[in-house]
This record gives sequence, structure tokens and C-alpha cells, in this order.
Amino acid sequence: MIRTTRSIVPALVLALSAATAQAAADLTRYVAVGDTLTAAYTNGGLVDVVQENSFPALLHRQATGSTTFEQPLVSAPGIPHLWTLDSLVPVVINTHDGEATGAPQNLALPRPYDNLAVPGAKAHDVVATTSSPSNPLVGLVLRGLGTQLAQAASLDPTFATIWIGNNDVLPAAVSGVVIDGVTLTTKAVFEPDFRTIVDTLSANGARLAVGTIPDVTLIPYVTTLPRFVVNPQTGEPILGQDGTPVPLVGPDGPLESGDFVLLSASTHLKQGYGLPQGICPIAACPPLTNGDVLSAGEVAAIRARTSELNGVITGLAAAGSFAVVDLNRTMADVAAHGITLGGVDFDAGFLTGGIFGYDGVHLTPFGYATVANEFIAAINRTFGNAIPLVDMTPFMFEGLPDFGGAPDGTVTANFRMSPEAVSALFRAIDVPTDLAGSGGTQRPRKPARVRKLPPTKPTAPWRR
Amino acid sequence: MKTNRLRSIGAVAILAALAVAAEPARAAGFAIFEQGTKAMGLGGAFTAQADDPAGLYHNVGGLAFQRGTRAELGTTFVFLGDSKFSGAAPFPGAGATGDQTNSVKALLHAYVAQPISPKWSFGLAVNNPFGLATEWDDPDTWSGRFISEFAELRSFDIAGNFGVLATEDLGIGFGVIWRGSDVVLKRRSAAVNPFNFQVVEVAKVRLESDVDWGLGWNVGILHKACKWFQWGLSYRSKIAVDYSGTARLEQVATGDPVFDAIVAATQPFGQDIPIETRIEFPATASLGAAFTLREDLVLETDVNWAGWNSFDELAITAPTEPGLNATIPENWRSVMSYRAGLRYDLSKTSQLRFGAYYDETPQPTASTSPLLPDASRWGYSFGYGHRWTRVSLDLAVLYVDFLKRTVTDSRDGFYGSYENATWLFGATLGF
Repeated sequence: MIRTTRSIVPALVLALSAATAQAAADLTRYVAVGDTLTAAYTNGGLVDVVQENSFPALLHRQATGSTTFEQPLVSAPGIPHLWTLDSLVPVVINTHDGEATGAPQNLALPRPYDNLAVPGAKAHDVVATTSSPSNPLVGLVLRGLGTQLAQAASLDPTFATIWIGNNDVLPAAVSGVVIDGVTLTTKAVFEPDFRTIVDTLSANGARLAVGTIPDVTLIPYVTTLPRFVVNPQTGEPILGQDGTPVPLVGPDGPLESGDFVLLSASTHLKQGYGLPQGICPIAACPPLTNGDVLSAGEVAAIRARTSELNGVITGLAAAGSFAVVDLNRTMADVAAHGITLGGVDFDAGFLTGGIFGYDGVHLTPFGYATVANEFIAAINRTFGNAIPLVDMTPFMFEGLPDFGGAPDGTVTANFRMSPEAVSALFRAIDVPTDLAGSGGTQRPRKPARVRKLPPTKPTAPWRR
Repeated sequence: MKTNRLRSIGAVAILAALAVAAEPARAAGFAIFEQGTKAMGLGGAFTAQADDPAGLYHNVGGLAFQRGTRAELGTTFVFLGDSKFSGAAPFPGAGATGDQTNSVKALLHAYVAQPISPKWSFGLAVNNPFGLATEWDDPDTWSGRFISEFAELRSFDIAGNFGVLATEDLGIGFGVIWRGSDVVLKRRSAAVNPFNFQVVEVAKVRLESDVDWGLGWNVGILHKACKWFQWGLSYRSKIAVDYSGTARLEQVATGDPVFDAIVAATQPFGQDIPIETRIEFPATASLGAAFTLREDLVLETDVNWAGWNSFDELAITAPTEPGLNATIPENWRSVMSYRAGLRYDLSKTSQLRFGAYYDETPQPTASTSPLLPDASRWGYSFGYGHRWTRVSLDLAVLYVDFLKRTVTDSRDGFYGSYENATWLFGATLGF
């Protein structure tokens, strides 16, 4: 009898312990690791008015009431200079190449930033990258003080968010070329790096919230342009003799359902690429290139790899009882249904949807605030916190400042996305340079000439 | 004289039909249960008694027991003003508030009951069993204006009924209901300005229907089982009304002429656009039991059912502008209300009445919005009636206390709490 009672008591204690194991997360020392999406990269650059409302900054503010959250802030008009929309009809996106950029505002901070997200970072970069000759934003954030992970660990955080892996699949989507191990990170490479990140940050008992990788084939960079021939005067599809829209011609023939034309194909479309015989004004128009098109098979490969990597993320999160922020599901919901707030509709549409910025890849301030609320909801759900949600009102009714700058020769009319814009985007998300630009076949093309960003002014003292 | 009296009553009934002022829903959903002052004083627990012409609404079976020509003309004043909204994140955020416009609405009701044979009677009823009106102050800055700034649904029923004494204790009634209704909705429309990603107001939208009609029926039984107990059962069918009307969009300048020009080129501003929609008003049923506790004291308890699951969506179609088509999910559920009323005879000619009820809201939280922020409610009533030789007067007051409705799951992305309370005053003259 006594033995039975003794065996029950430990079980009860264990049960009580289990019930109290998930005590509220402490965000007193909160550090964020990630990529462009965590850094609040928007419209081609980093700028303080957007960074101050990055999702980590919002999360910290809502959880602690404090506005002291150190980030690598950049003054207007940003680094690189933020893109602007000079015209909607026709679409003219001005990348302001060669114009003066903003300046770092927080370089002298004598410790690592609380937000260590580096634009363009992959999971491996978090654990291994300390600098980059091709991406000056790496130096802006890391300042030669070590990797993202090392710096984050040195802050001895009580809480951390990890949203990484987006750039492990995104290069395949935006380049239109799926190369396993190059534009798509393999699970074999991703998993040990992600495990190292999780283990290091949670080593001293810190709670973690990890974000899953969204389906990058749902972003406007992929979904905006139709796969049909469009009458430039009316904007309507040209119909064939059977009454159905005439498909553009891709590298493997007429585009089929499930194939996508990337925003970067704008240049080729303007030049007549992809027009089928009978519509082509010359003897034969070249087909859209492999880099212009994301085929259904490539989409399936990207989605499969995304699912695989998300399995790694959620598996490690479950093992550690961390909060999972299912941004893959969020992206799917947004793509299918949009977001409605106060009767105002937002969606994943290019330019007018309000969620994605001018590059069709990264988010607007509204988008980042939405991500913050997803993190808050997951943390409250998992750890029993009562962090209030972000009030979306200012992100709806207060627009971005004018980063206009002087219109110059880099303005390209009548294109949805200029070659310069594509190159700048590829640099930001670390697409391999031999895939940057347009042209080529299914095999990797000759390396394209990569334009370097203009040096910041004054020369950053943190460069070594 | 009798003919003249009937004609004057008929004229009054027609006048009542024309005066169809809308009022915020007093029963759950947009049903209005206060269709007679005597019943109102009893908390609406009148199915088992139905012993005045207003019984034509509560239980047409009571028509069979009417003796002599009787008519009633009455009004219910509704005092609106204590209706507030408090916002919450993510939108419109804590600190955002809203108030509905103070106003007084008047409903009219008119009934005539006329025996046509020793067993048969005919009754004509004109009343407003459904209606809603929500109007928010400061529409230019009201945070819910992109959902609704003004909404009004008006209805009036003209019902012709017959009652028959199946036995001297059992009355059966039945009849046809002809319902006329119209709807006005006003809100603002917004878009994201792609030049700076700012949400800006781009249009005022007004949807207005014609008065359209639907047909239904009702049936009731009233059984005087014994000296101290009688019961009643009534049923009113659902009625579908197909509305046709127009939508009109008026452009609002954003201050950005380039964007305004683009918006103007893509929207049908300044046109009367034909629109169609359909509302299925729910079927209702009531079961009541009345107990004569003493010769001068009667207690009745009722339970009511409203088949609001017929209101599952609101589909608005614009045949000439398919881009304006919209289907708004409502997903209302059928609900119950519970009533009790006590009447006390001060004398043979005067009576005190007391009542209370609880009415469930059929509206799910996700559908709760500035257009109709419904909530479950408690009602408390007091009434008085006096009968002279040829005329009677009934007076009643009703206080409706809505439960605070907090929206944390919203179809429209509009979060916060609604609080409401209303006073109603009724007066009915009987002839």
C-alpha cells in the first residue's frame, strides 16, 4: 500500500512540474537572428523608419513596454537607397542606383545588436559568416565582431527568435533555376546548422520562437506576370482560335498551368521574348529563358524542399518545447484569402496589395507588423504569456516617407522590373552571381557582370 | 356607426403600414418582439393568453376567442443612445471608440379582430416584426466606417388571419403574412496607395433597395385546458424577400491626384448600379403556459425559438458590374428566448403587469460588426392597463440590458467590445 502511495506522489509531482514547465517566456534579454525579413528590409534597402518597426522591435516593445532595442539603424534614404515607385501606369520602379545612400546610425554600440539579422543570410551564414565582400550589409550588422550566432550567444539571451531558411530556398524561385545544393540548400546542410543555432541559443535556458519557411512560390515576384500573351493596349489576354488565352513560349515550349513568369522577365517580354509564331512580329521570337520562368516542376521541387526544411524546424522546436510560428501557413492563408482589417482588404498582389514591397519579395511595414503579431500569438499560446498584439492602425494609415531622390538615367520606363533592380535584389538575397541577370539555358550561364553598390559615405569605420 | 368605425380603423391600419420607422433590433438578431403594449408589459410572455387583438402576432389561435369587434392602435418609442464601442488590437486598437447616434424611433402597430360567425373570426394585423438601424457618430473618422457607418432595415407585415373555435376551449388560427421591406447600407471604401503603402479612403458607398415583398404564413393553437391552466403554441413561417435596388459609389479625393486618376479609371463612380440581394427572415415558434394562481393573478412562461440558421450568408450581386459581387458569410444559428410575465388585476378594469426575459443572440462572434453588433440580452418590463366602457389604454416600459459583446475573432478584422442598453415605452389604445 505504502509503495503504491509513494509511486503516485512522484507521478503527481511530475505532472505538476509538467504543468508548470512552460512558464511565461522572459523577453528581458531578447535577441533575434535571421535574414532580410527579420532585419525589416523593404523596397530594396534598410532604413530606420522601417527597422524601428521590425518584427523583433515590435515584439520586444509589446512584451516589455521598452523602446530600447538595439538595431543597425540606417538613416534615410537607406542602404541601399530605397526604391521608389515613380509611376503606376506604366509601372516605373526607380532603384536610384548611384545616388547617395543613408548612413549607419548605431555603429558605435559597444556590444552586439539585439537584432542581428543579416540581409541575405542562410542558415549556414548564421553560424559561419563573419563578413562578405559582395554584401556590405553583412558588415553593417556584424561589424567584424563574429558570426550572428556567436554575437547572439554572447548576449546571454533569455529569449530568442530564429527565422532563417528563407534564403535557403528563395534563390531557386527568383532565379528561375533549381540547382540542388546551389539555389536550394539540402537538408543535409541545413539541419546541422539549424540544430547548432537552436542548441547554442537555448543552452542557458533561453526560450525560443522559431519561424517556418513560407512558400516562396507564392510571392508576387513569382505570381504577378501572367503566362499568357497580353495585349499591351488593353491589358487583356489575347485569345486563340479556341477562345482560350494564348500561352507564352518558355524554354520547354508553351507555358502550361502551374508555370510562372518571373518579374525579372520584364526585360525579355518587352523585347518580344516568348511570343508564339503568328503573334511574333518577326520571323521567330526567342522563347523565354530558363531564368524567366519557374516551371511547375521547379515549383514542386521548391515546395518539397521547403516542406523538408520546415520538418527540421518544427521537429527541433517540438523537441525543445519552443514556440513554432507557422509562417508557411500564414503565407498560404494570405495568398488564398488576403488579410482584412477594419473592412480594408490587403493581399499578396504586387504594388497594390499592401503586404509586399516593390521588389515583390520583401514585406512592407504592414507585412512586418503582421509577422510580429504571428510571433506574439505563438508565444502567448505556447508559453502562456499575455503579450498584447500590435495595433495595426499606424501601419495602415501612416505611409512611408518619400525617399524620392533625383530621377536619373537609371530610371527605366515601361518595365515592371529593370535589370538593375533584379541585380540589386539578387545581391540582397545572395543569389549566386552566375545566375544574376537574364539569358542562358538550363545549364548555369557565364557569370554576369555584377554591379557593385556605391560605397557608403563616410567610409564605415567598422570595415576591417 | 359600426361601418364608420371599421372604416376609421382601416384608415388607421393603413397609416400604420406607411409609418415604418426602423429601430435597432430589440429581440435577438434583427427581430422585434414588442408588437403590442400589453404583451410588452408581460415581458412578451403572451402566447398562452393572446386575449387582445395584439394576440394576432403572438398567437393567432387567440383570435378564435375574440368576442365583438375589437381594434387596437399603438406605438412603441425606442430611446437609442447608450450604445458604445471600445476597440482592441490588432485593429482598431485600444483607445479607439465609437458611439451610435442618439435618437428616438417610433414603431406603430394596428390590429382589428372581427367575429364573422359564432365560431369564426377574422383578424387583420399590421406591424413591424423585423428591423434594424445602426448609425455611428462622426462617420468621417469612425474607425469602423469601412464596414458600416449607417445600416437600416425596415419591414412591415400585413397579415390576414382566420380563427375558429374547434371546441369551446380550443381555438385554432391561421393566416397569410405579406411582408414588405427595404434596406439602406452606407459605408466607406479604402485602398492601399502603392506610392507610399498608406491606406486611403477612396469612395463613399451607398446601397439602397426598393420596398420588396415576400409571403409567409402563420398558425396557432390556444387551449383553455381548465380554469387555472391554458397553453398556446404558435408558428410563423420564414419569409424570403428578394431585394432589388442600386449601389452608388462617390469618389473621395485622397490628395494624390495621380492615384485619384488611377482609381477613377477603375471604379464605376457616379453611376446607379443595379444590385440584388435576398434575406430570409427566420421562422419563429412559441410555446406558452399560463397559470391562474388566483382569480386576480396570472403567471405565464413562454419559450420562443427563432430559426436564424436561415441567415447563413448575405449575397449581393451587381448584374452589370460583376466585380462588385460579394458574399458575406453570416452563419447565424437558431436560438431560444425565455420569458415570464405576471399580471395582477387591481380591479375589474385595471391591471398591473410585470415581465422579464432572456434572449440569446443568433449572431456568431465572427459576424459581429458595426453593421449589426448584436448580443444576448435581458429585458425587464412593467405595464399598466385600464379599460373604460368602449376604450382601453395600455402603457408599458421595458429596459433591455445587452450583455457586453467582445469580439476576438472577426470576419471583418474589427476587434473590440460593444455595450448597449435601451429603454422602450409603449402605449396602445383599444376600441
